Amino acid sequence: MTAIDVRGLRKSHQEFEAVRGISFEVPEGEVFALLGRNGAGKTTTVEVLAGLQRADGGTVRVLGLDPYADRAAVRRRTGIMLQEAGFFPDLTVAQTVDTWRDFTAAPRPREEALELAGLTGRSGTKVRQLSGGEKRRLDLALALLGRPDVLFLDEPTTGMDPQARAATWEVIRDLAGRGTTVLLTTHYLEEAQRLAGSMAIMDEGRIVAAGGMAETLAARSGRVAFRLPPATDPAALPLPVTVENGLAVCRAEDPDLAAQRLLTWAAERGLRLEGLEVRTATLEDLFLDTSPKVAR
Amino acid sequence: MSLAATYRLGTRLFWRDRSMVFASVVTPVGLAVGLPALMRHVTSGGVAGATALAQSAIAILLAITAFMNITVALTGRRDQLVLKRLRTTRLTDGQLLLGQIASTATQTVVLIVACAVAVRFAAGVPLPADPLVFAAATIAGSVVLSLLGAAYTAAVPRAELAAAYTMPVFLLCGVSAGAMGPIPLPGWLQTALDLLPTSAVVHAVRTGDLAVPLLVLAVWGAAGLVALRLWFRWEPRRS
Ligand SMILES: Nc1ncnc2c1ncn2[C@@H]1O[C@H](COP(=O)(O)OP(=O)(O)O)[C@@H](O)[C@H]1O
Ligand SMILES: [Mg+2]
Repeated sequence: MTAIDVRGLRKSHQEFEAVRGISFEVPEGEVFALLGRNGAGKTTTVEVLAGLQRADGGTVRVLGLDPYADRAAVRRRTGIMLQEAGFFPDLTVAQTVDTWRDFTAAPRPREEALELAGLTGRSGTKVRQLSGGEKRRLDLALALLGRPDVLFLDEPTTGMDPQARAATWEVIRDLAGRGTTVLLTTHYLEEAQRLAGSMAIMDEGRIVAAGGMAETLAARSGRVAFRLPPATDPAALPLPVTVENGLAVCRAEDPDLAAQRLLTWAAERGLRLEGLEVRTATLEDLFLDTSPKVAR
Repeated sequence: MSLAATYRLGTRLFWRDRSMVFASVVTPVGLAVGLPALMRHVTSGGVAGATALAQSAIAILLAITAFMNITVALTGRRDQLVLKRLRTTRLTDGQLLLGQIASTATQTVVLIVACAVAVRFAAGVPLPADPLVFAAATIAGSVVLSLLGAAYTAAVPRAELAAAYTMPVFLLCGVSAGAMGPIPLPGWLQTALDLLPTSAVVHAVRTGDLAVPLLVLAVWGAAGLVALRLWFRWEPRRS
C-alpha cells in the first residue's frame, strides 16, 4: 500500500513558486529521500505533507488522507522533525519530553524516547544549554514519541557530529525495519545512499531525477581531480576524465579506488599527479557539473 | 483532555517566566491595590472614592494580565517557532489557542478576586455586593480580553514589539474606565469608550447591571474569534 502519494504538487510563497508540480509515491515501510540543495523546495514539500501548509495545486495523500483537511487524523499517525522549530529554552530535556508526552496519545515512556535519541545522560540539562546537534536529537525524540506510522524528517542530521549522525542513521534504519515509512530530506548524498530505498533529486521546485536515475547520479558522485601531467593525452588515462584548464576530473562511485588506479598508472610511467584531490562530491558538485547529466 | 494539556502548559510557562510574572502580576496588582489604598488614606476621597477606583482598576488588570500577557506570550512563541512545533502534535489549532486563552483568563480571574479581597483590607472597600454578577462579569471579561489579545498578535510584527504595541490598548482601557483618575472627555468620546470590553466589565461590577455588558462582551468575543480565524499567524513573517 502507498503511504505517501504526491501528484502534481504546486505551492507558492507569495509570488514565488517554491514547488512546481512534483509527483512521487512512497510505499508503506520504505525510506524515501528527497535530495536537493538549499532552496530546492524540500521543506515546503514536507510542510505540505505534514498538513502545516495547504497545497496550491495537485493532490497530496498521507495514509490515504488529505493532510490539510484531515490534519487531526493524519497527525495522530505521523511524526515530524521540522527543519527548524523552537523549544522552551528554560525547560530541561526531561521536562520537554514530559510536556510533549502530554500532547501525545499513548506516548513512549520518557526514558525510552531519550534512549532512542541518545540523550539519556542529558535529561537534567536545560534546553538552552544543549549543542545544536543535541537539540537535533531532542527533535528526533519528540518526533518519535507517538510511535508514528509515517515519519517526516527534514534534514535530520544537520549540525550533528559524525557519531551522532551514525547513531541517528541507525535509529532510522531500525524504525524502517519495523515498518515505519520514512520521508527524509537531505543535501548529503551519502545520507540518502545509506538510508533510502529510493530517492528523488529536487532542484528549483522540480524533481530533476528520480528512482534509478537519481541513484546513478549519486553513484557517480565520487570525484578525483588532479593537474594533467604535461604532454599527456587524457584519452591515455585508465579512467575517463574531463579536462578543464589543465585540471582533470574523474567521476567514480568509489573515488579512493579510482585514485589508486590513477596513481599506479602514473607511477608506472614515472609521472606525478600534482594537486591530487579525492572526495565524495556534494550535491552542489552534481549540479555545478557542466555535463548535461541532469535532464531538465 | 488535550485542551487540559495546553492549559497546563500555558500555566506552567506563565509562572516560570520571572519578567512576565513581574509585568503581568506584580505591576497591575500593585496598581489595583495601591491606588485605592492611597485614595483612602492620603486623599479625602474616602471609602466611596477608593471603591470607585478599585472597580476601575479591574480594567487595568484585564488590559495587562489578560491582554498584554497573552499577546507577549504568543508572539514570543510564534517568533521562536514554538507554536510551529506545537502544531506538529496531535493538538488542533483550536485546542492550542483555547487552552492558552483559558489559562490566561484563569490567571486574570484569580488576580481580580485577590485584588478585591486585598482592597477590602487595605482600603476598606466593601466586597462585591452581588458576587454572581461580579463573577460573571470578570470571568467573561477575562476570557474576552485573552481572546482579543491572542487575535491582536496578528498586528504585532515582531515579539520584541509586543509589549509596546499593547501600551495604547492599556492606556485606552485605563483612561476610559477612570482608572487613571478623572480625565475630562467629550461626551461622544466617553460614549464610544464605554463600548470597550474593559469598560463593560467595570460598568457591570459598579452597577450590578449585567445584560448590556454581556452583550458588549459577546460582540467583542465574536469579533475576536473571527479575527483569530482570519489573521492569526503561527509562524513569524519571513522578509
Ligand atoms: N514562508 C516563505 N516565504 C517566502 N518564501 C519562502 C517561504 N518558505 C520558503 N520560501 C522560498 O521557497 C524556496 C524553497 O524553500 P524551501 O522549501 O525551504 O527549500 P529547501 O528546504 O529545499 O531548502 C526558497 O527559495 C525559499 O526562499
Ligand atoms: Mg529545507
